[in-house]
Amino acid sequence: MINAIRKVAVLGSSGTIGSLVGGLFAQQEIEVFFLSRSLQGAKAGLKKAIIQARSEVISRYIECGDYDHSLQTALQEADIIIESVSENLEIKKNIYNRVERYRKPDTIIGTTTSSLPLTALAEGQSENFKKNFLSTHFYNPPGKMLACEIAGTENTDMEVYRFAKKSLKDILRRVVIPVKNIPGFAGNRIAFLLFSKITELVQEYGVEMMDYLIGPYTGRLMPPLATLDLVGLDIHKAIMESLYENTCDEMHDCFKLPDYIEKMIDMGLLGSKTKGGFYKKVESGKHVFFDPTTCDYVPAIEPHLAFIEKAKNLIRLGMYREAFETIKNTQSKEAEIVLDSLCTYVAYSFSRIGDVTEAKYGINGIDTVMSSGFHWAPPSLIVDMLGGNKDVVKLLNAKGFEIPETLINGPTIKYPIHNSGKFFIAR
Amino acid sequence: MKGDKIYILGGYQTDFARNWHKENKHISAMMREAYQGSLESTAVQPGDIKAAFIGNFAAELYCMQGLLGAFFVDFDPRFKGLPTHRFEAACASSAIAALSAIAYIKADIYDLVCLIGVEQMKTVNSTKGGEFLGTAAFYEKESEGIEFSFLRLFGKLGDEYNKRYGLDDSYLARIAEINYRNARKNPNAQTRNWFMNFEHANTIGSYNTIVGGRIKITDCSQVTDGAVCLYFASEKFTADYVEKNGLKLEDIPQILGWGHTTAQIEFASKITDSQGQNYILPFTRKAITDAYKMAGVKDCWDLDCIETHDCFTTSEYMAIDHFGLTKPGESWKAIQQGVIELEGKLPINPSGGLIGGGHPVGATGARQLLDAYKQVTGTAGDYQVPDAKKVATLNLGGTATTNVCFIVGK
Repeated sequence: MINAIRKVAVLGSSGTIGSLVGGLFAQQEIEVFFLSRSLQGAKAGLKKAIIQARSEVISRYIECGDYDHSLQTALQEADIIIESVSENLEIKKNIYNRVERYRKPDTIIGTTTSSLPLTALAEGQSENFKKNFLSTHFYNPPGKMLACEIAGTENTDMEVYRFAKKSLKDILRRVVIPVKNIPGFAGNRIAFLLFSKITELVQEYGVEMMDYLIGPYTGRLMPPLATLDLVGLDIHKAIMESLYENTCDEMHDCFKLPDYIEKMIDMGLLGSKTKGGFYKKVESGKHVFFDPTTCDYVPAIEPHLAFIEKAKNLIRLGMYREAFETIKNTQSKEAEIVLDSLCTYVAYSFSRIGDVTEAKYGINGIDTVMSSGFHWAPPSLIVDMLGGNKDVVKLLNAKGFEIPETLINGPTIKYPIHNSGKFFIAR
Repeated sequence: MKGDKIYILGGYQTDFARNWHKENKHISAMMREAYQGSLESTAVQPGDIKAAFIGNFAAELYCMQGLLGAFFVDFDPRFKGLPTHRFEAACASSAIAALSAIAYIKADIYDLVCLIGVEQMKTVNSTKGGEFLGTAAFYEKESEGIEFSFLRLFGKLGDEYNKRYGLDDSYLARIAEINYRNARKNPNAQTRNWFMNFEHANTIGSYNTIVGGRIKITDCSQVTDGAVCLYFASEKFTADYVEKNGLKLEDIPQILGWGHTTAQIEFASKITDSQGQNYILPFTRKAITDAYKMAGVKDCWDLDCIETHDCFTTSEYMAIDHFGLTKPGESWKAIQQGVIELEGKLPINPSGGLIGGGHPVGATGARQLLDAYKQVTGTAGDYQVPDAKKVATLNLGGTATTNVCFIVGK
């Protein structure tokens, strides 16, 4: 078994996650091979790693190469291989065949997949490969988002798993969250359920209004639809499909993509990387918003609701509980949407305990991935802000949600101030 | 002097990595969090607080907001009518607020006071921020029309060391590297997840350019949003407090002594005056030795660690010999021998200091006192200096114009 990480090989180092995770190893003065289909690609990854570190000095720990010329040498020396090639089963399996040919025995193989089934990925490889294969799911950008979900298969050696977990924490300074071997793990499962509920409501309320209602003041860095524009709707579709195919729970049907998003993808409106997505910037510098009814863009309506403006003002002054009281005490259709969204988040998160994370961790694992992976207020914090377990159980009851046992019987949640305020943005 | 011992009951520091401007928060939100966090970290009851002392450099410039004391009154309905005070002494604002708070307790006017240091700096770009910081020098003479005037002045401090004793800049790079290394152990430090090694700090590159004089980016402390709240109490109040909360009086840290001096504001004038003297900044040295004397500290080797004002690597280089770790001009020896490292004989800035931890100007003096409290109570976590009993802090305002040194211990 590998007991020290001296050399690392990154496969798919031209991509964002591959290059930036490789860069994190180099920042710890560990030698890293940046491998890509072309040398040019690997060098592009090196540039990204330098920008992340804000130092050219790390380049002396990084050696760039392509698969055809450098794979053999790199894999014979690497103690850990970070595989971050395209999110496609066949492409990943092909590269694993090449890995098998050259790697030294017991090299650890960590995949950064967020949605492909681990067992299917390792299928057909040697016992030694399977023993050393696990998921190391980093969040983007890894320099700022410290979460890393780790999961093994039934064949992963527990010693290897423990060593990888410790190395991610101690060397890469990750906040490591042990998750179950289920596509989407904990973070994407929960976040994309929320995204899906919001994209559904877009058909009735519009893009601008939904991002206004579920804006950063509700405990997130960016509004949800703006986030999806950054993620890319093609990626969103792939994750939703994987979650629909590979998971099963009370919200399963929500993982179906609305027709209008399929249309957006057909129209090439994938988000920030294309000419538009939910948002589109026009010549004046202003945004117009996608209208799912007409499949065209509509000008801004600049929504303004008194309870939201009041909540934002309270957050600006650091009065977070008072802001949530305002939301709770407002009687309006819009306030109901906001509360429904918060309730969905809480109920779905607590219901996933034991499903996406081991029950023994309680809500802690899910809290950690939502805060360190997405910079969203963790579900426990939302419970605390809405008045604590008892009040939230009442609220969920009144709204007809199924009440998670883990919320009824779980410990009373009181979030320390240190981990609270930063999630609520006064916008 | 009238009065008795001054105790520190603990406090709270906001996460210096946060950008409160990006969160669209008002400066009072930072003060509020620091206050609320201090209640979580101590057993202080709001009804017992007799007055609030706020240290802040330039909220009027950075945030278009003055009268910060008034915001404290909003934090609890019982605070309406409470006396509040606000103090400005550039980067030493909260040390000056602390001195005043101490004086009120010594005069038997208040028995429990709240001290808040606060600065929100990310509201403006670095050029504008540099201009604001220039007001901590003689603006018309030393700053007006000069980009980043402040770091240039501290570059001149390095030049003066070079002139009198010789200065190898690789020792400045080592100071930066040590501060960043320590900051990685501090969960509140601004740079805790940033990349740094000696080679980077010692190399001029596109990410480590010279920004003025001999000062590179890595020689500078950070632009930081942050607030710190802590409590000072009289001996009588503390005796009641420990009894109510099942604590022991001998476990509560005290301010054992302090030194406070003001030099002339112009840097060149300070340097001219100190020609032929042992120390380049004699009034900084005096603040330190006054504090030693009051606290009964024989010399620096009676201390377990120091939290000093490393607004630039040159100011920490200066602090090393001014605290007496080496003879004047020989600070490099303490760096070379590892004396100032976390595991060294006399660690400097276990927290990461201003370079690694961050430097919200008006909060720094209070942050140093809180870190001293943490060290003495064994609650500094991963940056704990084993068995620390006595800790010195040095907070500088302007170009070592205002100098405040505290000794905290049991």
